[in-house]
Amino acid sequence: MHHIIIGNGVAGITAALTIRERDRSAQITLISGESDYFFSRTALMYAFMDRMSLRDLEPLERKVYDAQKFNRIRAWVTNLDATTRTLTLDTGQTIQYDALLLATGSRPNQLTVPGAAAVKAGLVNFVTLQDLESLEKWTKLGGKAAVTGGGLIGIELVECLTHHGMQVDFFVREPWYWPAALDKEEAAIVTGHIRHHGVNVYLEESVAEIKSDTAGKLTGITSTSGKQYPLDLLGVSIGVHPAIEWLTQVKTPPATKRGILTNPAFLTSLPQVWAAGDCAEIELAQGKPLVEQIWYSAKRQGELAAKSMLGDSIAYQPPIFYNSSKFFEIEFTTVGQPNAPGSETFFHPFAGAEASIRITWRDSAVTAFNMLGSRWNHEFFERWITERRAPQYVIDHLAEAQFDGEFCTLPLAEAQSNFNQSRSPR
Amino acid sequence: MIRQTTYDRFAHDITNRGISAWLLAALLTSFYLVLYFTEGLTPVAKAIGLDSKWTLYGLIYTIAVVAGGIFVIRRYRHNKYQVVRTCVVMFVQSILAFALPQFLKAIHQPEYYFSYFWPLKLDYLTPNTIFHYPLPIILYSFAGSLILVPILGAFFGKRWYCSWVCGCGGLANTAGEPFRHLSDKSTTAWKFERASIYTVLGICITLTALLFTTYAIGPKHPDLAAFTYKFQSFYGLIVGTMLSGVVGVGLYPLGGTRVWCRNFCPMAALLGLVQKVGRYRITVKKNMCISCGMCSKYCEMGIDVRSYAQSNQSFTRASCVGCGLCAEVCPRGVLKLENVSAKAPQQRLVQITSHRSEMNHSSLR
Repeated sequence: MHHIIIGNGVAGITAALTIRERDRSAQITLISGESDYFFSRTALMYAFMDRMSLRDLEPLERKVYDAQKFNRIRAWVTNLDATTRTLTLDTGQTIQYDALLLATGSRPNQLTVPGAAAVKAGLVNFVTLQDLESLEKWTKLGGKAAVTGGGLIGIELVECLTHHGMQVDFFVREPWYWPAALDKEEAAIVTGHIRHHGVNVYLEESVAEIKSDTAGKLTGITSTSGKQYPLDLLGVSIGVHPAIEWLTQVKTPPATKRGILTNPAFLTSLPQVWAAGDCAEIELAQGKPLVEQIWYSAKRQGELAAKSMLGDSIAYQPPIFYNSSKFFEIEFTTVGQPNAPGSETFFHPFAGAEASIRITWRDSAVTAFNMLGSRWNHEFFERWITERRAPQYVIDHLAEAQFDGEFCTLPLAEAQSNFNQSRSPR
Repeated sequence: MIRQTTYDRFAHDITNRGISAWLLAALLTSFYLVLYFTEGLTPVAKAIGLDSKWTLYGLIYTIAVVAGGIFVIRRYRHNKYQVVRTCVVMFVQSILAFALPQFLKAIHQPEYYFSYFWPLKLDYLTPNTIFHYPLPIILYSFAGSLILVPILGAFFGKRWYCSWVCGCGGLANTAGEPFRHLSDKSTTAWKFERASIYTVLGICITLTALLFTTYAIGPKHPDLAAFTYKFQSFYGLIVGTMLSGVVGVGLYPLGGTRVWCRNFCPMAALLGLVQKVGRYRITVKKNMCISCGMCSKYCEMGIDVRSYAQSNQSFTRASCVGCGLCAEVCPRGVLKLENVSAKAPQQRLVQITSHRSEMNHSSLR
């Protein structure tokens, strides 16, 4: 059997390791146009800030690839012919598969505002190794930068550019930072923290027009409020979309909508072709088609898709949503679905600390946790949500889920007494 | 990308094996060679009113630990574990490992270091040396080396000594802080470490046994006595002088701060074995690791922490000194240092896999 995996990100590499674990003799080939070895995309910011070298980003020792007998090909795939089970690479090489996994990940969304098409330099994303190279080219001490897009990549980019001594303007289109995950109160804590680092945060404002010189070098922007900002660099982090553009050029494209459509076993519309990770759009047995684009889901899907390729019967059901992030120094853990209609919430900010907890429930069963500035073991939250625990139970048992380091524990009693007061009849 | 200031370019060079790092390593190594093998520092010591070059060395060492400690406390001021630990390290070095022995010497008592024990300090258990001390010190030394050290190790792991008390660890975790990431993370380095550190421990225990035997029957067997004392001075030269001093500190800018602790220290070897069966471990939060590798990068003992974190394995590695930096730098709060008791609530959910049998760094799950 020749298993070919396009994409050596976390979904692809997890799939390769899963296949190898079960089948010592299978031929496994990893194709990537971006990098020779699997690297941790989530750590790009640390390479940018010189806290790690690019080599440090590789989660596997390089000798593992030989030990696991993975063939690695550094090339972009230009054609997929499912009738002959053949791939063509941009090197001209053709290669045949018995089973193919598409794990091509995401591409950053681009601005379509006036002037965007004319810019050839100084307009950057922060997703790939190549993005990092171009960022490093335009980053300069004392320069002016702007980042548009109030999500996770945006804040990471802001942190990096600030670290490099650039004056950064941060444009957030929404009324507060990252409303998809944060409520107004948490966002205020985070925004205060960002501003404390010398960043100008502009809420409900984004890029209206991009200006560049005759050579195509970015010179500045006009914001939606009409204000002019001269710039050396503009970072665009307005979300990502499944990387499916390349499939429009191939002989036998699989069916796509937002991403590459698959069944719950990650099989695409083409025989012997699977898709997993950010690029896949899974038509679940129930509910809306699912596109998951975080590290954890890619790892999970990569493993399950590999099992499906090996013949296991797989019916994907995403677990309770959870994610984590870090805003400069403030850590954040979220579990469950906040903002659900009809839900009630308890929010407690800790005095004198950039930390807060938020517990959400509906019909007296907890549904979500949003914890800022401290560490929590999300497994407890998942269990309490599954067990439909009452908010009072959760508050009483909260200490069990604390994951703060020794001597660093958040004073929970303060939050507990606040909760009990707010619940007692007046 | 290096920040484009002169300071940052220099800081990068000296902490990433650049030319300045090689120069610093040469300087440190020369300092130790001059200290150990010449009397070049004696006039310097006399000139500033100190009785010997060793007192001067103790003073320089203490200044390095205190100054480095202040730097570390500033850097990690948001993390109380680091603040408390660093304060203890600074206290132990300046009081127990400097001021108190100097005071004892001044009042004509034996210059005894209460923060050192066998087998790091061979002399503090072996009869030909320790029996020259007054009885309370003999009792302290035996109880410390044979009872206190292993018992605390079983409850808290080797960290109570290696990163809270010990002078070698003290210097590594203060003045050595900017070089911690230079430790080799490869499985090859891990294999070397295991071979070398247990070899030194074996030699150390053999020598200790020989010294006791010689003490008991030496007068009747002059050949044995001659051999033993020659062995002891050879051990002192290779392990005490060359490996812990010249190599241990001299290589900070090239091999990281724990070259000695990781590869050669017999005390670390012994405490590591205790740690493996004791309560200490690093708990890994399940499915939260993003494989960024900050934990591995900043592990001074060269443990590939990421390989455990990304495969959801809580673990206890013999070499881990519990400095806590992996947990500090983790951007997703995945790691937690713990002394686990069976009643701990985390126990109910977190599966322990104490240690993987093979050096298999190929798993993400």
